[in-house]
Amino acid sequence: MKRIIRLLFGLALLCSLTGTAGSATYIEVTAPGNRLLRLAIVPAQPLGATIKPELANEMAEAQVFDLTMSGLFTAERRDAAPLPQGLGLSVIDYIPWLSAGYDLLIRGEYELRGDELTVEFRLFDVLSKRPLLIKRYLGSRTDLRRFSHSFVDELLATLAGERGPFSSRILFVSTQSGNKEIFAMDWDGHHLQQITKSGAITISPDVSPDGREIIFTSYKRGNPDLYKRALSSSVDVPLSTRPGVNITGAWSPDGTKIALGLSKDGNTELYLINRDGSAPERLTVTQAANLSPSWSPDGSKIAFVSDRLGRPHIFIMDANGGNVRRLTTNAGNNFNPAWSPKGDKIAYTHQSGGFQIFVINTDGSGDTQLTSEGSNERPRWSPDGRLIAFSSKRGGNEAIYVMRADGSGQTKVSRSGGNSTHPVWTPHH
Amino acid sequence: MRKEFKGLMVLMSLVALMAAGCAKEEVIKKDEPVVQQQTVKQAEPVAQVAAPPVQTVAPVVAPVQEQVAAKASEAVSLATVYFDFDKSDLRQDARDALSQNAEALLKKIAGVNIRIEGHADERGSDEYNMALGDRRAKSAAKYLTNLGVKADRISTVSYGEEKPAVQGNDESAWSKNRRAEFLIVQ
Repeated sequence: MKRIIRLLFGLALLCSLTGTAGSATYIEVTAPGNRLLRLAIVPAQPLGATIKPELANEMAEAQVFDLTMSGLFTAERRDAAPLPQGLGLSVIDYIPWLSAGYDLLIRGEYELRGDELTVEFRLFDVLSKRPLLIKRYLGSRTDLRRFSHSFVDELLATLAGERGPFSSRILFVSTQSGNKEIFAMDWDGHHLQQITKSGAITISPDVSPDGREIIFTSYKRGNPDLYKRALSSSVDVPLSTRPGVNITGAWSPDGTKIALGLSKDGNTELYLINRDGSAPERLTVTQAANLSPSWSPDGSKIAFVSDRLGRPHIFIMDANGGNVRRLTTNAGNNFNPAWSPKGDKIAYTHQSGGFQIFVINTDGSGDTQLTSEGSNERPRWSPDGRLIAFSSKRGGNEAIYVMRADGSGQTKVSRSGGNSTHPVWTPHH
Repeated sequence: MRKEFKGLMVLMSLVALMAAGCAKEEVIKKDEPVVQQQTVKQAEPVAQVAAPPVQTVAPVVAPVQEQVAAKASEAVSLATVYFDFDKSDLRQDARDALSQNAEALLKKIAGVNIRIEGHADERGSDEYNMALGDRRAKSAAKYLTNLGVKADRISTVSYGEEKPAVQGNDESAWSKNRRAEFLIVQ
């Protein structure tokens, strides 16, 4: 109880600070020319008796990685003398940072009491010599990476007009425990957690728009059926157990419907069902396979895979099944479409030999290959559209990688054993 | 002594049953409207039908009833059917294998139910391959029902690329993994 009160207090403080320091919208901080902004991160200094440099280092390193992957900054960890009056009362001397060529500076302060951790981060504009963002976080020691990611997300909102994706987690399929099960991790691979324990092939996770529930396909009862589970629970609720396949479930953006592939009437066709699994409404009528639906962010359209014209291609239709058109015009063998959060692009997997990830405009123009090393599958956009997670096999086991939306910065993030595939981001929350 | 006698009786009736099966088979074949299979059937079943009785007769000494019954169903192994890449239509070799399977299902193991498991090679997305394995299993099921096997004896499940028969990343492995397997469930 005491802890909850403290947490509420912390949240209130956080809100008030956002109000004053953030001054609502976006401050245009741009570097001259086309160079990236240079940002220095000084590991947070201790407040109080407990001195744990490893905590400060971990927070700084997490932020350096986030900021680097955002593609907007050259972020470096820099050591500096602690501010003698603490973060709140000291006057920042901007001159050394300015002369070292930095545009931005992050300094922080932490206090550890038992297991309770308080952290404050401040972002300074070196050029205009003023603080741009102040955030204070209260929680436990295990929250320190979350605090670090959260500050970078806010920093991106302040400097670039949109929150970053770094507080999101990635759900994925791993064979670490034997068969394929669903796991979750922070976007950078930390805090690995096994979600399902079906003891059977379990694949294709998708997260509800409110971030509270997941759906997935599992063979736990022998047939590939669709299940739902609250992330706070360990109970799998059968949603669609119709004869044949119940695969590639995808939540509609408003959370009221699920699009999925069912073969109950013969070949695999796309249907809509309610979030409780009821009232299947058929969307496609073909003699072919239709699956892997991906909703446009406004919920009006669905991209999907179909081999109705021979090789599997990506198609787009209205969410009621009308106006079907083929999107991809390459030789075919295209899978796993993922509609971008901005609505303008669709990432997909193309196979010729190995798999590679492509991105294409929704009008069919600008088809661009993003990966070429190894075999790469299943692109999924971060909630802000800045990053794409995918699975990659480059030599050893399959692992989850993350890259920027333009294909740069491809980095392995999963640390789980076995093969890791089928990544999907949890939404902003 | 009595037990042995009983076992022998069961055996004999089993053999008789099989003989009846053989006789009946001719009839079914003549009545069957599908002509395309005629040539294949003439070549294949002769050897096949001849073989099992020898096997069942051989363990005449085996006294226990269960043992005989077990042998009888063991003797029947339903042939796996293979497919071309990204295809679920049946090649000639698949049709031949299915005809054999149908024959067994109509006679030797007329009382059992089967599950057809559809599989795919590793190319294509995991889920696309589930849809493909589903099509393959259903394609095999449909052919069996066309040959007279009752649909309610057959169930299907697709495993996509999840359960390869052979590990490997080349055509020799893939061709063995694009398949439908037939499992006796009861």
